[in-house]
Amino acid sequence: MTGRIRNPWVVVAAYNEAPVVRAVVSGIRRAGYAVVVVDDGSGDRTGDIAQLAGAVVIRHPINLGQGAALQTGIDYALAQRADALVTFDADGQHCPAAIAALLAAIEQPGIDFALGSRFLTGATANLPMSRRILLSAALWFTRASTGLPVTDTHNGLRAMTARGARAISLRQNRMAHASELLHQIAQSRLRFVEVPVNIEYSAYSLGKGQRISDALTILIDLFARRLYR
Amino acid sequence: MIAQLLLTALLTLVLVYAWSAHRTVPIIGLLASGAALAGLYFVWVQEHATALAALVGIGRGSDLVVYIWVVISLLIVLNLHLKLRLQLDMITRLARAVAIDRANESRREAGAPRRRRPVPLNRKAEALPTELQAKK
Repeated sequence: MTGRIRNPWVVVAAYNEAPVVRAVVSGIRRAGYAVVVVDDGSGDRTGDIAQLAGAVVIRHPINLGQGAALQTGIDYALAQRADALVTFDADGQHCPAAIAALLAAIEQPGIDFALGSRFLTGATANLPMSRRILLSAALWFTRASTGLPVTDTHNGLRAMTARGARAISLRQNRMAHASELLHQIAQSRLRFVEVPVNIEYSAYSLGKGQRISDALTILIDLFARRLYR
Repeated sequence: MIAQLLLTALLTLVLVYAWSAHRTVPIIGLLASGAALAGLYFVWVQEHATALAALVGIGRGSDLVVYIWVVISLLIVLNLHLKLRLQLDMITRLARAVAIDRANESRREAGAPRRRRPVPLNRKAEALPTELQAKK
C-alpha cells in the first residue's frame, strides 16, 4: 500500500459461500485490505460468517446476481472514499497476494484498470478442457465486439482506480457483467493493463462456476441490453 | 368491409402502442410502426397484398395480412420481455439502495458510543427497572 493509493477496498460478491467465505475474507484482511462482502440474498450464513471474519457486509434482500452485487460493493466502497477497488471472487480460487500486484499496476500513471489474466503466464492450476474451450469462445467474442486486445475475459480478479470505477455502471445483473465491464472500459477510453494472476480451481469452485449452457444466457443478456435504454 | 374496418382499428391501436414503445425501446417502436403501416396499406390496397403474397409464395393477400399480424404480436411479446428487464433494473436499484442504507445504519449503530439520555433539571432521574423491582 505504498504510493498514491491510500484507501483500497476489496469487493467480494458472495452467494451461498458459507463453506469458504471465512478463509477468503481472513486472507484479504491478513493482507491488510478493507473488504466489503455483498451477500447476494444467500440462504446460508454467508453474511454472518463474513462479518465475523472482519468484512463489512451488505445484504441484498433478494438474490440479484453477481453483477448487481459487484456494483453494490463498488458503490459502497466509493462512498467510503476508496481510491482503488479490487474485485475478488468469493469461492476461494483467487490468491490475496495478487491484490498487491493489481494495485501496483494501477499506480502507474494513466492506468485506470488492471485486469487479472490467467493465460498470460500459464500459471493456472487444474483448468479443465471444457472450461478452457468456453473461455476461448468468450475471448473471441469479446475481442470482436469491443476491440480490446485482452487475453482473459471472465476473470473476476481486477483492480480499478476510483476514476475507473465511476466510469463504469454495471446493469447486467448476472454473469454477462464481465463482458459488459469490458465494453464499458472500451467506451470510456480509459487505459488498462493485464496482470498475470494464478487461479486455483478446486472441486468447490468448479461446481460454482459457469457452465457451457450459461454462454447462451450471457449472449441473450448482452443482446437484449442493447435493445432498450 | 367490416373486417377492413376492424383491422384498421386494431392496426391503429398498434401504431399508438408503437409510438409509446418508441421512447423506451426504439427498435420495437420502429418495427411495430413499420408492420402496422404495412398492414394498413395491405388492408386497403388488397390487390397489392395479393401481388406481394404471390411474389413471396404465400398464396393469398389475406394470408399475408395475418402473417403481418403474427409478426406484430411477436414484437409486442418482445417488448413485454424488455419491459420486464427494465422493471428488474429498477428493482435492482431499489434493493441496492436498501442494502447500502441498512449497512450504513448498522455501522453507525455499532460505531456510535452509547449515550445516556440527559435528565431534565426539574425532573428526578427515572429509576432503573431493577430498582423498581427491588421496591416491590
